[in-house]
Amino acid sequence: MLNKFAGLLQNENMKIYRRGSFKVMIAILIGLVLLVGMILRFNTPQPSTTATTHWKQQLQAQINQDKKQLPSLKADKQVYETFKKNIAINQYRIKHNLKPSSSETLWQFVMAVAGNMITIIGVFTVIVVATSIASEFDSGTIKLLLIRPIYRTEILLSKYVSALLFTVLSLIVLFVASWIVGGICFGFDSASEAHLVYSNGVVHQTSWTLAVWQTYLLDCVSLVMTVTAAGLIAAVFRNGGLAIGLSIFMMMAGPIAVQLLSRFDWVKYILFANTDLTQYTNGVPLRSEMTLGFSIAVLAVYYSVFVLVGWVFFTRRDIKA
Amino acid sequence: MSNNTTTDPAVRLEHVTKKIGRKTIIDDLSFEINRGEVFGFLGPNGAGKTTTIRMIVGLMRMTKGNIYIQGHSIRGAFKEAIRQVGAIVENPEMYKFLTGYQNLVHYARMVSGVDKERIDEVVKRVHLENSIHDKVKKYSLGMRQRLGVAQALLHRPAVLILDEPTNGLDPQGIHDLRHYLHQLSREEHVAVVVSSHLLSEMQLMCDRIGILQKGKLVGVETVNTFVNEGGQTVRLTVDDCAFAAKVIKDKLSLEAVLADDDTLEMTLEKEKIPVIIDTLVLSKVKIYAVVAVKKSLEQRFLEVTGGKSVE
Repeated sequence: MLNKFAGLLQNENMKIYRRGSFKVMIAILIGLVLLVGMILRFNTPQPSTTATTHWKQQLQAQINQDKKQLPSLKADKQVYETFKKNIAINQYRIKHNLKPSSSETLWQFVMAVAGNMITIIGVFTVIVVATSIASEFDSGTIKLLLIRPIYRTEILLSKYVSALLFTVLSLIVLFVASWIVGGICFGFDSASEAHLVYSNGVVHQTSWTLAVWQTYLLDCVSLVMTVTAAGLIAAVFRNGGLAIGLSIFMMMAGPIAVQLLSRFDWVKYILFANTDLTQYTNGVPLRSEMTLGFSIAVLAVYYSVFVLVGWVFFTRRDIKA
Repeated sequence: MSNNTTTDPAVRLEHVTKKIGRKTIIDDLSFEINRGEVFGFLGPNGAGKTTTIRMIVGLMRMTKGNIYIQGHSIRGAFKEAIRQVGAIVENPEMYKFLTGYQNLVHYARMVSGVDKERIDEVVKRVHLENSIHDKVKKYSLGMRQRLGVAQALLHRPAVLILDEPTNGLDPQGIHDLRHYLHQLSREEHVAVVVSSHLLSEMQLMCDRIGILQKGKLVGVETVNTFVNEGGQTVRLTVDDCAFAAKVIKDKLSLEAVLADDDTLEMTLEKEKIPVIIDTLVLSKVKIYAVVAVKKSLEQRFLEVTGGKSVE
């Protein structure tokens, strides 16, 4: 049973990676990382040597200045918290002799490209999942695919899982590519840079790798929802173009629409009001009454509906193509 | 072969009905197809041939009734039933961006018991050894057809269903396929189900045929019975047609029509032919030729389906 599912995944992987479009996608991914790296590299001023030698004095001056400003900022909770955070981190740096980088570093670059590149990976995965499902109907191969001793549910699951495996592969490519490009452009010596996290008034050191993959994971919430929606549309309408167009349009326009409608209280039930979970970690929630738990519940409901509807249409409908 | 349940027919349809909306596409079909025979589906376009095939392989659901393959219901025991089936439904559509071999590996992974040797064996059988590692997009229609047959045979099915199998094959290819299908049915007791619009081809290929019209089964018969039913047609070339016709009518009360200047044609039971010849000879009619006209399946088909166009 499990053995056979591995075979199905192998089949779907073969159909994803043997298509010409796969190579184009990976080339675009690496090319864009390289392009952004070059642009940043040649637009960042080189650090001056004097600035680097007296960094402790400079940090202390910054701390003193921030502390002076602090009492006047109590009105805006967010700005106030940001200042507190900066002070704590700068104090930690002086105490532990951790020099702040005066320019872009390898890890900052890896982090900086994550968000936009994952949007692009999202677009690619939408294309992969929509093609995987709809092209079987377009080309007529669905007929030969479904007359095997395998339930349609297993076929659909193998297509969905293989598309998400494509996302994982793309994320690994993104991580490696941006690490190498970051190193080439900003120096590999900053690879061992400490990642400082401020939470509940305490600063601690964590690994950059972990921090980057946490960011990837949070950014993938929106990706998974969009990809699932694309799979649903492909399974219902059996039309790849429609699935790709509609789901990417939703992914792009959804968050904007939600911002525009944020004064209505029902907006919180819209999918796109909840896909950005970073609004609870470092930002302001779209509406003050929204919580992380609420968003997860809303996401779970949408996800279940997408999966259920896609599954029903894929497994129940006659194959006439 | 893979299965030896001799008591069950290879395919059994029981009161199969398919309705789409209010329209009845297939109306109460019941018949059986046995192992070791080549069964042909015949019918004009829209008669329901493809719908029936799609229901047999589980691509379409039936509204009523059931279909059993080697005794397993396609509705209730899909995996057990479909494991016995190899098929091409309409055109042999394969993944064009993969090689022929990769396509076969793809399908081999979906069933148990197909190893590398079996793939090579099937490739050899359909004569694709030289192009199996080329991408399918480079294949001709005939090569695709053969690759389609190969994927259908991989798992040694008890039932082989081929929709329009001669499409795109050259005469040699058709001959080879016919020979091969006969071999499969005779030697390996595979039930072969074909549908074709080439009626002459069906006549050569099939042991029995089922005729569908407007979703109903008009008849299931062996090819020979089917063709000869409704009597034998004979042509008599004689010296005096008018006189001969009169003799036949007066003495035997049979109707003969003028087919040519010197030829009469009539349709009758086989046993009547010598009687007619005797009668004519006794009446001093000179007979130059007696030709039994072999009716083609096509003519007979048109008779049965009421002269509707064949395709």
